[in-house]
Amino acid sequence: MSMRAALLGAVAALGIAPAAFAERGTDGEVKLTFPQAVSIMNPYLSGGTKDIYASSMVLEPLAGLDPDGNLITKLAAEIPTRENGGISEDLTSITWKLQPDLKWSDGTPVTADDAVFTWEYCTHPEGGCAQATKYEGVAKVEAVDPSTIKVTFSGPKPNPYTAFVGALSPVLQKAQFAACIGAAAPTCTDQNNMPIGTGPFKVTGFTVNDTVTMAMNENYRDPAKPAFASAVIKGGGDAEGSARAVMETGEFDYAWNTQIPPDSQAAMTAAGKGQFVVAFGTLVERLEMNLTDPSADLPEGERSTAKHPHPILSDIKVRTALSKAIDRSILVEVGYGAGGKPTCNVIPSPDAWASDNSGCIAQDMEGAKALLDEAGWTDSDGDGIRDKDGKKLSILYQTTVNPIRQDFQALIKDWWTELGVEVELKAIDPGVFFGGDAGSPDTFQKFYADVEMYANNSDNPDPETYLGQYQCKNAPSPENQWQGENINRFCDPAYDELHAKLTQTTDVAERQAIAKQLNDMVTKDSMTVIPLVHRGTLSAHSNTLGGVAINSWDTEMWNVADWFRVK
Amino acid sequence: MLTFTLRRLLLAIPTLLVISLVIFLLVDLAPGSPMSEIPLTVPPDVRQKMIEALGADQPVFVRYFLWLRQFFWVEPAYAFDSWFGTTLAEGEQRILSWQSRSPVFTIIGQRLPQTLIVIGTAYLVGILIALPIGIYSAYRQYSLFDQGGTLFAMIGFSVPTFFSGTLFIIIFAVWLGWFPTKYDTQLEVVDWATFWEQIRQMALPVMTLGLANAAAISRYMRSSMLDNMTMDYVRTARAKGMSERTVVLKHVLRNSLIPVVTVIALGIPSIFGGAIITENLFGVNGIGAALIGAIHASDLPMVQTLAFIFAVLIVLFNLIADILYGLLDPRIRYD
Amino acid sequence: MLDAQPTPLVQVQDLKMHFPIYTGLFRKHTGDVKAVDGVSFDILAGQTLGLVGESGCGKSTVGRAMLRLYEPTAGRVVIDGDDVATLAPEALRKKRPTMQMVFQDPQASLNPRMTLAEIVSEPLDEHTNWTRDQKLERVYELMDQVGLNRRFVNRFPHEFSGGQRQRIGIARALALKPRFIVCDEPIAALDVSIQAQVVNLLEDLQEKLGLTYLFISHDLSMVRHLAQRVAVMYLGRIAELSPSKDLYARPLHPYAEALLSAVNEPDPVLAAQRKRIILKGDVPSPANPPKGCNFCTRCPRVMDICRTVKPDLLEVEPGRLVACHLYTAAGSTGASEANERNQQGENQ
Ligand SMILES: Nc1ncnc2c1ncn2[C@@H]1O[C@H](COP(=O)(O)OP(=O)(O)OP(=O)(O)O)[C@@H](O)[C@H]1O
Ligand code: SF4
Ligand SMILES: [Mg+2]
Repeated sequence: MSMRAALLGAVAALGIAPAAFAERGTDGEVKLTFPQAVSIMNPYLSGGTKDIYASSMVLEPLAGLDPDGNLITKLAAEIPTRENGGISEDLTSITWKLQPDLKWSDGTPVTADDAVFTWEYCTHPEGGCAQATKYEGVAKVEAVDPSTIKVTFSGPKPNPYTAFVGALSPVLQKAQFAACIGAAAPTCTDQNNMPIGTGPFKVTGFTVNDTVTMAMNENYRDPAKPAFASAVIKGGGDAEGSARAVMETGEFDYAWNTQIPPDSQAAMTAAGKGQFVVAFGTLVERLEMNLTDPSADLPEGERSTAKHPHPILSDIKVRTALSKAIDRSILVEVGYGAGGKPTCNVIPSPDAWASDNSGCIAQDMEGAKALLDEAGWTDSDGDGIRDKDGKKLSILYQTTVNPIRQDFQALIKDWWTELGVEVELKAIDPGVFFGGDAGSPDTFQKFYADVEMYANNSDNPDPETYLGQYQCKNAPSPENQWQGENINRFCDPAYDELHAKLTQTTDVAERQAIAKQLNDMVTKDSMTVIPLVHRGTLSAHSNTLGGVAINSWDTEMWNVADWFRVK
Repeated sequence: MLTFTLRRLLLAIPTLLVISLVIFLLVDLAPGSPMSEIPLTVPPDVRQKMIEALGADQPVFVRYFLWLRQFFWVEPAYAFDSWFGTTLAEGEQRILSWQSRSPVFTIIGQRLPQTLIVIGTAYLVGILIALPIGIYSAYRQYSLFDQGGTLFAMIGFSVPTFFSGTLFIIIFAVWLGWFPTKYDTQLEVVDWATFWEQIRQMALPVMTLGLANAAAISRYMRSSMLDNMTMDYVRTARAKGMSERTVVLKHVLRNSLIPVVTVIALGIPSIFGGAIITENLFGVNGIGAALIGAIHASDLPMVQTLAFIFAVLIVLFNLIADILYGLLDPRIRYD
Repeated sequence: MLDAQPTPLVQVQDLKMHFPIYTGLFRKHTGDVKAVDGVSFDILAGQTLGLVGESGCGKSTVGRAMLRLYEPTAGRVVIDGDDVATLAPEALRKKRPTMQMVFQDPQASLNPRMTLAEIVSEPLDEHTNWTRDQKLERVYELMDQVGLNRRFVNRFPHEFSGGQRQRIGIARALALKPRFIVCDEPIAALDVSIQAQVVNLLEDLQEKLGLTYLFISHDLSMVRHLAQRVAVMYLGRIAELSPSKDLYARPLHPYAEALLSAVNEPDPVLAAQRKRIILKGDVPSPANPPKGCNFCTRCPRVMDICRTVKPDLLEVEPGRLVACHLYTAAGSTGASEANERNQQGENQ
């Protein structure tokens, strides 16, 4: 960076300014629109992507991730590794060096104390920090000297790039937030809405759930950036309206999250004002099979628990048949267009981590029927529905209220009906479904149904935590107030063992191999999870906005400093 | 009239308290959790901590009384402080939105201007269009004009605003490029250029809502005119040899306006309530959009406060409508 | 009216008032309510013509059409020399002061948002250029005339009793010094005790101001001593038009006979002779009146001819006009309408 600055200085001294090295603040205003408006600019108090993306233009972590999932420096001078001594041999600590002469947008220097404070802020028991997982396993964060931060873990940590890495874990300014720690955190309205940061922009105005206005940060570390003198994020409306404002009316330069029906995508692209870009992360729309019996005849507290295996779905042949009957390409075509692709994996990317499992892509109705026959499910009474021992092959299939999901439900129901399976559909308000209210029978965790559909993702290219969900101990049950993440109640000691091994393994290639194996264990080997569509985040940008590089591993605004106006 | 007003206001207090409790319980019992918008990647224990930090895990009555205290004491004291520089509310917690952690009244303060300007203008435009249409349609009942008015009202009634709004966007913003589709709440009117900008950005939402409002009001106006047109006193006025203008404008219209004015007054709280769909569609981000956003996010303090303010406004404007009726119609006296 | 030789102030010739009926999606004109279907009569200046008949027979419509409160379908209405039925709008407005109406419902006929002073003086605003004081003076004068206390001048209609309201209605009608007033059941909505007061008031005013009345009523006894002549209407047409005493003593038309049989007869001798006639059936709809005599569906003395030929209103006895085949030579019913008018003219 300093090398570049020096070079730039030299170029400037010579009086030749090459086009690539635009000057700071010469390109006017960049206008972004989000269908969900920004509620707060402090990612530690919000899990909402809209808030995290918006704040990432202002607040920065020590390191971030590029579109390929590789670590890149933000405030850090370099990425600590075992090779460069940044990570201790026993994997229990990581030491970060700050870049020299870093300044907050108010002109004060950035020091290691700020990072230490940030850790204290997020781990305070009364603070309600939304990103607490980022600091999980962190025993201590110390300022070795004003520009050196040492993060010590309570045990060996093969993936130490959690704290202060990515937009979910930026560094807060201690001076600004000192009084906002613990219970006071939510009450610091001004701080939460207008945090002082190190990013290319600083907040100049904030109206809740509406507009964030920003000006370039005069103290940004790269003197040539950002090209835009100001930025504005307007929120509200819907995906269609946001997309239109970029693609058709040209009022905005960038619209995040413009997931609209495939035919609308094509029509808007035809207007020629902009283009859609897709970030494929790990978000997978999937069917989760309930391996336990959700029958309402069971006493409350025993429904959907390990006590009673599922009378139908416990048989892997049935699960496999259900998967085979589905044509994932049609689902993509109907629901997502460019914003999705068929998948058989829970971990569909990055490529290095994704298993080459594609056996489910081709629909195989005959194979599915044969499997059911084999499993003893035949249509003995000729009513079109298979049965066995006097019991009908009947399935309750639930998801949230959402037009695409209802389309999927209808399609899949058709295929399953063709298979001879009776399907009952149910759609639940997303607020209830994902609300986690232990008193509600309709949460996805309680899973009082046979099959349910939703999307989930890993927020880290390294899927260790994500794969940890399927451990036996994480099954939701009355004992843990139905709060586990192992929705299927999948329980395989071999899986748990292998996952434990993953947490101990440091070699990346080896980690990747284990992850693929774990992925296969829950998908093609056991058909516990039936992945359907690898979903991307569709965003749109104007043809006059340059420098956009969509990123699914970090904020889409990860390189907003490099954005410029195409002239 | 004064005692009537005072009595009604006093009576409103217990009513509103009951309403506030009912709203609170309804909102609280409604399914959904303030954490439902948080991605699944945030684990359950972190969610639980977040809920605790919001105070959302407290028993419902504790939260209700806290809200009551905040609404009726802390917030007024806070407002008083900011006007007179006193320190009544020092150290008191204001009502905070769970979703944004901002004080609910700050959000309302930010949003009220655009709601009042856009929705208010739409209401006004609606009335200004509706009255002449209603009057003339009634005067020339079954004429071509009346049929046109009926068609207009039918369209205004039956076409949902999300459809008419989208249609207007496609015609006026995408094809013709006359107006922006997203309302810029940060625009400050300081000169003619910005004033023109403001007019342009208001055009589409005002058109959309104005159409819907005009439809309803023109029908009221028409039927009220028709009711009065056949009254004997109108015949009397004609028999007196008054000019047609006087008959229609002075006799019929003035009497017909009484119920219409009441309907208009009763509709005013809906201006404050905003127009959820239209606001959302055009990014006006007023009160309506705030309410729907808060409902989606199960932001109880925000929903509760807004719903209660609407209840107060509705009670208030009912009273105003009654008083107006009394003022306009000499037959009605409140003692 | 002060002429020695009485001339008719009001002449109605073949007045028709048909209300069109529109039906269906496209509001097609499918028929007419023949509320008034060819009515002719004269009223001498200073006299009162009573107009009686069952509810719905078209009495009010006659009154309103005469004053051009409806646009008549056909016919002439000559009042004080002008054919009101065809007057141009502006001329009509100028004409209005001569002809006024007192309405059936005193409550509904007064604008609820205007005070007594406004109601009474409004026509003065329109038709005079008097000063405020002059107008107020006139209002007071009228209030005195109709017996309203001057204190009430700024009250609204709803603050008065029914009788008082009708007095306001009368004062209003008198404001412009009309010559002809249609009184459309002015007492029907009032208490019996007050009815007499209002009728007396109207009589006094007629005497004092030399007014000419068309007095519409279904109360035959009230009409009897008010009107010099009485027209009995049935289903949009006049059945009989006779001097009052003749009619009450000996009704000629079967319908008039039936109608009068129901009225209390003060004279015990006549009462003894009288037998009550109960009519059977309902009044047919004016949208679809029977062919021939419109009373033929209910007439106790109906003949074959009645069902095919419409009887004309003809003078069957001096001063008495009847529309009934009983009084015309069978088969000689070709009398033209012009003839009808001529006869009427000759007799006056
Ligand atoms: N504006 C109108 N449109 C259509 N039909 C009408 C209208 N006004 C009156 N009619 C019809 O004309 C007929 C005569 O009505 P009108 O009011 O003249 O009767 P009326 O003899 O005055 O009765 P009442 O004694 O009840 O006042 C009725 O059948 C009535 O329904
Ligand atoms: S014409 Fe015939 S039906 Fe009509 S009144 Fe005379 S007798 Fe009766
Ligand atoms: Mg009448």
